[in-house]
Amino acid sequence: MNRDATLAATAPRALLSHASWEALANYAYLLPAAVCLGGTVLLPILKAIHMSLYQNVLIRPQDYRFIGLGNYVRIVQDPVFWLSLKNSIVWTFGSVFFQFIFGFMVALLLNVPFRGRVIFRTVNLLPWIIPSVVVGLIFEYIYQPNYGPLNDLLGRSGLMRAPVAWLSDPNLAMPAIIFANIWRGMPFFTIMILAGLQAIPGEIYEAATVDGAGVFQRFRSVTLPMLRPIIVVSTVTRTIWTFNHPDLIFVMTGGGPGNATMIPSAYTLIQAYINLDWGYAASLSVILLVILLVFTALYLKLTKGVEEVAG
Amino acid sequence: MKNDDSYASRRQFLRTLAASGAIAVSDLAWLEAPYLSPRKAHAATTVRFEFYINEPARYAVVQSLVDRFNKSQSDVEVKVEFVPQTQAHQKLITAINAKNPPDCCQMWDQWLGEFVGLDALEDLTERVKGWKFYPSTTPTAWQALTVKGGIFALPLSITTEAIYFRPDRVKEYGLRMPDENWTWDDFLALAKGMTKPEKNQYGFGMRGAGKWAVPYATAFMYGNGAQVLKDGKVVINSPEAVSALEWYIDLFRRWKVTPPSVPTDGFRQIVQGFSRGITNMYFHNSGSVEEQKKAIGAERFATVPMPIGPAKKRSAFYFCETLVMFKASKNKEGVWKFLTYMMEDEQHYQFTKVAGNLPTRPSLSGQPPFNEAPYSGFVKSFPFAIVSPYLTYAGWGGKLESEGMPLLQQALLGQISPKECLDKWADVLTKNMV
Repeated sequence: MNRDATLAATAPRALLSHASWEALANYAYLLPAAVCLGGTVLLPILKAIHMSLYQNVLIRPQDYRFIGLGNYVRIVQDPVFWLSLKNSIVWTFGSVFFQFIFGFMVALLLNVPFRGRVIFRTVNLLPWIIPSVVVGLIFEYIYQPNYGPLNDLLGRSGLMRAPVAWLSDPNLAMPAIIFANIWRGMPFFTIMILAGLQAIPGEIYEAATVDGAGVFQRFRSVTLPMLRPIIVVSTVTRTIWTFNHPDLIFVMTGGGPGNATMIPSAYTLIQAYINLDWGYAASLSVILLVILLVFTALYLKLTKGVEEVAG
Repeated sequence: MKNDDSYASRRQFLRTLAASGAIAVSDLAWLEAPYLSPRKAHAATTVRFEFYINEPARYAVVQSLVDRFNKSQSDVEVKVEFVPQTQAHQKLITAINAKNPPDCCQMWDQWLGEFVGLDALEDLTERVKGWKFYPSTTPTAWQALTVKGGIFALPLSITTEAIYFRPDRVKEYGLRMPDENWTWDDFLALAKGMTKPEKNQYGFGMRGAGKWAVPYATAFMYGNGAQVLKDGKVVINSPEAVSALEWYIDLFRRWKVTPPSVPTDGFRQIVQGFSRGITNMYFHNSGSVEEQKKAIGAERFATVPMPIGPAKKRSAFYFCETLVMFKASKNKEGVWKFLTYMMEDEQHYQFTKVAGNLPTRPSLSGQPPFNEAPYSGFVKSFPFAIVSPYLTYAGWGGKLESEGMPLLQQALLGQISPKECLDKWADVLTKNMV
């Protein structure tokens, strides 16, 4: 009997278990996306943090040096930064609150069938389609105190005696720009909420009606809870955008008069592209990042709650 | 708001149309000449030239000049890159930091100190001193282009500031016509007399926004004996400066001879305010003369030097558009050939005519349109004009807009006093003397 012939050779042990291979393959599929995200999101953030620790004024390359938290100390002592932060609260919440209210109202209107609804829906989108720089220029012209149509209209109708300098008066400049932003951002809420309204099954309203619910009860107990996920997502997203986007302000007032409409993102741009102080601009961007991370955490917390409700 | 001046009669309209047509035809013939015959340059080395555009007319004339140069050369070919003026400064700084600047470019004189500080520009002193037009170029141009004892640019055009005004309205309201010896009191009387809010008209279009808001206010301060620097020390918060700024701000706050939009009025607003007949005076360089000729007609406006201040002084700042060569260029001979070509009589004259600034050689600035009425205020201002004191330190350039402008706006709005404004401004300047 050949003993050797009867013994089966032991198969070499696999380097990784099947489950591990599967997990590795899955990570490999994610790798291209991770590399792209890392290269376009993570690296710039790390670079900005790195830049914020240096004195880096482009017109003074000889002064380039590591200053640790020097730029952050400067921010704390910079009254314009604190003013801009205060302004950004008025700007962001003033804009988003009214965009939401008016957007919701228009969405409710457009959800009701009537003749020409398609045309109204298309027209409603126009402010959102127009680039914000163009919106800024249009409103700058509308508000022009000497030859703008708004003062002309108010003057002709007898509501105004002396021309009002909408963008040159520090008490009026911010409300005037917020109004322009409301006009621009309202369609975003209208579209989102209209999509949500159309996704609510008619049977729920029918059941509520059969149970004796009136218009306001149906709105409070059916429409609002069903729209909650969309309201939360769109409001938080729009809040982040508004906080982060200085384009309207930059075009209409440049942050003036006397910094009355300055917000941190506009201030960062001024530091980077007018003062060419990239170290300080980078530290301002890092502060903006931290503020927006708080928003994002709030967003994630709120949307998690939403998922549970929806589930 | 209705404005009678914005309506032209049919005859006026037809006359303007015919005149514009004639100008367009003659200009087009000159501008398009290089396209009429094929180019001659073969196997030429390339020169990258950046030019900053703030109006379409400049694009046409510069493109034509470059094409003419290329047609005349066999060994050098210029490739022109047009960049919007608002992005020019930042793009150039970024290109220098990335070690990829163009070979040469057009540059405003107020940037020179900054770029010399970056060690990016070629010192042209030796070449310039041997250049055939060096002796005949106005000395003030060389003064504006000298940084740390070296000449770093060729003067493409030069101008200074003056007051634009409406003689027809001065007559209409029975006021005294300004002359070159007028004073601040005359200026205020004229501004008050030409302020008619019921007609939506204001005496003076003041600039409260943009990079030039502070230098314009400073030019008035010099009329009261103020200075920015004295013995190497910032003295822009001197009593003379404070008193002058109080007077200047009173034009807006107390006398209300300016439009209510002053705190946010930049270049475009002051120029358009005048061309729309809303303001009857404004302070600017000659760069808007051609625009006003088209908008309201050469016969309906004139220019006059800055009024004389209480200290029996007055001032205006030079403004020079320049051509520079970059140190990093690998074809310096080709660049020099192109830059000097642009400064030849015909090219220099054609460019300045379109730009509305003055040629830098008296032989050319004595020709039409520069010897005509709309330019006379600028020509008369040259004897007392000075190089802008804000060119002294490279670190001051960006601060004019980022810190000086908000301070001036706050003073205009009454949030801070003129003294506080100048104390803070002096502090900013002192900290940035680099």
